Amino acid sequence: MKRYTCTLVLALILTPLALFSGAIKEQIAEPDELIVYAYDSFVSEWGPGPLVIPAFEQQTGIKVRLVSSGHGGELLSKLLLERNHPKADVVIGLESELAQKAIDSKLFLPYRSPMMDYVPTFLHFDPTYCLVPFNYGVYAFNYDSHTLKDIPSSLDDLLDPKWRKSIILIDPRISNVGLGLLEWTVAIYGDDYLSWWENIKPNVLTITDGWSSAYGLFTEGEAPLVLSYTTSPVYHILYEESDRYKAVVFDEGNMSVIEGAAIVASTQKRAEAQLFIDFLLSDAQKDIAVANVMYPVNSNTVLPDAFDQLVQPTKELTLDSELVHAQRQTWIDRWVEVMSK
Amino acid sequence: MKKLGALHSQQRFYRLLGLPALVLLTLLFVVPLTFTLSRAFSGDESLYFGEAFITLFRQPYTWTIIRFSLLQAFVSTIVSLLIAFPGAYLLANYRFRGKGFVKAICTLPFVLPSILVVLGFVIFYGNSGILNTLLMDLFTLDTPPLQILYSFKAIILAHAFYNFPIALSLISTRWENLSPSYEGAALTLGSNRWEAFRRITLPNLMSSVLSASSLIFLFCFSSFAILLVLGGGPQFSNIEVEIYRRAKLSGDMTTASALALISIVITLALVLLHLLFQRRGSYEQESQLFEQVNSSYKKHSLVSSLLIALYVIISFGFVLGPLGAIIWRSFTSSITRGGATQLSLKWYKELLGLNSSGTAFISTALSSVIYSFIIALISASIATVLGLMLSARLARKSDTDSLAVELYAMLPMAVSSVVVGLGYYLVGRVVGTTFSMRLLLVLLAHVVIASPFVIRSILPDYRSMSKTYMQAALTLGSTVRQSFLLVELPLLRSSIITGFAFAFAISMGEMNATLILSESNIVTIPVIMYRLIGSYNYSGACALGTLLIGVSVALFGLSEASKRRRYE
Repeated sequence: MKRYTCTLVLALILTPLALFSGAIKEQIAEPDELIVYAYDSFVSEWGPGPLVIPAFEQQTGIKVRLVSSGHGGELLSKLLLERNHPKADVVIGLESELAQKAIDSKLFLPYRSPMMDYVPTFLHFDPTYCLVPFNYGVYAFNYDSHTLKDIPSSLDDLLDPKWRKSIILIDPRISNVGLGLLEWTVAIYGDDYLSWWENIKPNVLTITDGWSSAYGLFTEGEAPLVLSYTTSPVYHILYEESDRYKAVVFDEGNMSVIEGAAIVASTQKRAEAQLFIDFLLSDAQKDIAVANVMYPVNSNTVLPDAFDQLVQPTKELTLDSELVHAQRQTWIDRWVEVMSK
Repeated sequence: MKKLGALHSQQRFYRLLGLPALVLLTLLFVVPLTFTLSRAFSGDESLYFGEAFITLFRQPYTWTIIRFSLLQAFVSTIVSLLIAFPGAYLLANYRFRGKGFVKAICTLPFVLPSILVVLGFVIFYGNSGILNTLLMDLFTLDTPPLQILYSFKAIILAHAFYNFPIALSLISTRWENLSPSYEGAALTLGSNRWEAFRRITLPNLMSSVLSASSLIFLFCFSSFAILLVLGGGPQFSNIEVEIYRRAKLSGDMTTASALALISIVITLALVLLHLLFQRRGSYEQESQLFEQVNSSYKKHSLVSSLLIALYVIISFGFVLGPLGAIIWRSFTSSITRGGATQLSLKWYKELLGLNSSGTAFISTALSSVIYSFIIALISASIATVLGLMLSARLARKSDTDSLAVELYAMLPMAVSSVVVGLGYYLVGRVVGTTFSMRLLLVLLAHVVIASPFVIRSILPDYRSMSKTYMQAALTLGSTVRQSFLLVELPLLRSSIITGFAFAFAISMGEMNATLILSESNIVTIPVIMYRLIGSYNYSGACALGTLLIGVSVALFGLSEASKRRRYE
């Protein structure tokens, strides 16, 4: 008995050595899969990943390894970190406003997929085609019609004290959706955007680190208002036959966002990566739109009827990519100062 | 002459025994720390020496974070003490049924992973949580009466939940060993009870109060998961959360490392303070050892019985409510996202791979369970062996009074697990990030984090062990090695097992360093739980949480059983 215990303990202690030698071997070996970095919610249980990836593998016979790489903003910084030993072949989830930074980084390979012919020109946000759009959405506040009788009509309206501790927001330092609202306030108020943030504080229940947790808290009933997309109610109509959760559009306009994908310049699997982009812009469009509850870019996509029941934004706002590139960090820093007081 | 030779060989043996552990632990601890420090000072090529600190100190936000870290730790400590004090009084002065169970709860905070506490809190205390739903149904209210989550209050409450048992345990033990004769004398001499308490009892309890406070303050200061999930937004971020955010989310390693150094300086001071208080306490304890072994318990009155019942019920509800909520929730599943719920075994089936619904949860959850067990088994074994070797040396140190020796052993505790994680992350960027290498780094980080707890469990037992057995063995002709293996080890059996159980539990529940280190290919149970909470799959997180609770209870049972066996 004692001897066995000793042997076991010894074996356990020696395992790290085995791992170490394994590590050295692995560093030499070359993986056989197409490595795709995507933001967390793409990979998650309810995201498009579990639908799109098996379909692509079946159609092309190419194995894909989908790597969940954190929230939106993390993707580009992760790629920049790995600049010297890049691992990804394809990246999914770079938003249009990062276009300038992404192009400047020279990390990506230009590729004008033939499928871009079916994408309306207003979505061609990168003239160099390093980044190609794969879906787009419009940010909007969503509300729970069971608990909220009174509906806000503008950003200013949200400051009303009657919505005390009723709004769930998302951290712009971490999440694209959160950043969407920050830039939305910049688009509406210009340099005065911080006073909106100063005044919204009493009405905020919490600021979460990502869209998923914010929306989850909202459907769990923790608060009646949440920052999301105009398209979000589709999910509840489709799967729950419920129109309890609704989006509201503001006359002053709603911020919009285009999400893009790109091929990493260092890829050894260029042909496979291009096939993947083609697939993303064609056969995967419906699954992505439904699972992400955003709009597809390919105008031939046949969508479920539920999409027809959505409110249409009266005005779609965007910010100039160069302005965003130059100012974004300042906006975020000032936001932190205001919100941490 | 012969005796002197024996003493020499004895010293040599223990020095040699401790040496490899000392060297290894130093390496494991110092190497990642060096990476962090060099990064903090020299940073990128574009920065000059120390620029990161100047940038940091110029930002008002840095000061806000430091101030908040200290403030929340201070308030948490006070609240924990306030909750613990009446309990300590009752535990020390009355004998009642369920006392053993109350004491058992005192061990909970050490073995419960903080992500579990967070999860339990959201489910139990949330606006639509069990408690609020219950109260709303009872009193037909439209709005949840207890709005405690997502604010400063939530953080304090979670920290109190986590830490009041530490205060309860330390203070009640001290109180129990206090001689009632002083208080009796004071009463006889005409002082009233309040005066007797204030002038006799309280000063005598002070060392344990200070020792508990400093420990709780340290834990709350370097708290991570609770602030990450319950805090929300820049207003409620502490240094650890900010390090994580900068390192992992913004990729800004330089300021993250600089912040890590600030954190180290503060925690080091706290550990030093704690050791000083602990020492003061142990001297006092020794001086009173012969006067009083076990205090006479007070007689029950109706009031005291009611108070005891009330305290036990409230504290049990406070501690077991959130845990029960996790277990209950794990047996329900929603039909759709945010839809109606029903009782089911769905999550357990998914966990075991029996129910393939093609979700991402199943593929990662099962492997996370396997990884967690393997990592915990290996790192706990290594930590136990290293901890034992080091304890053997420390217990025999002639200058047991030197604070430096003990501080050194506690050093990894002075560095928060987020900082350890950051250090190993930086190491990983140099040695490569292949699968095996990452697994190795996670393992080593766990060893570093767990080993101080092993030492804490073995060393006091080792020190208090009577040396006569060993001397008898030596006199009877056995070698030092034989006496160590055949006499000392069997005597230390129960504390070795307890140390292993602690290390295992800490590794199983470790999220902070692992979250920074892990890429998508190596995930442990707490990391998956964090991801599941983030994507609002609470039931799935609860199934894993229930598993963790089960493991914690089993480990706790193991360590208790080993203690009991020793006294038989």
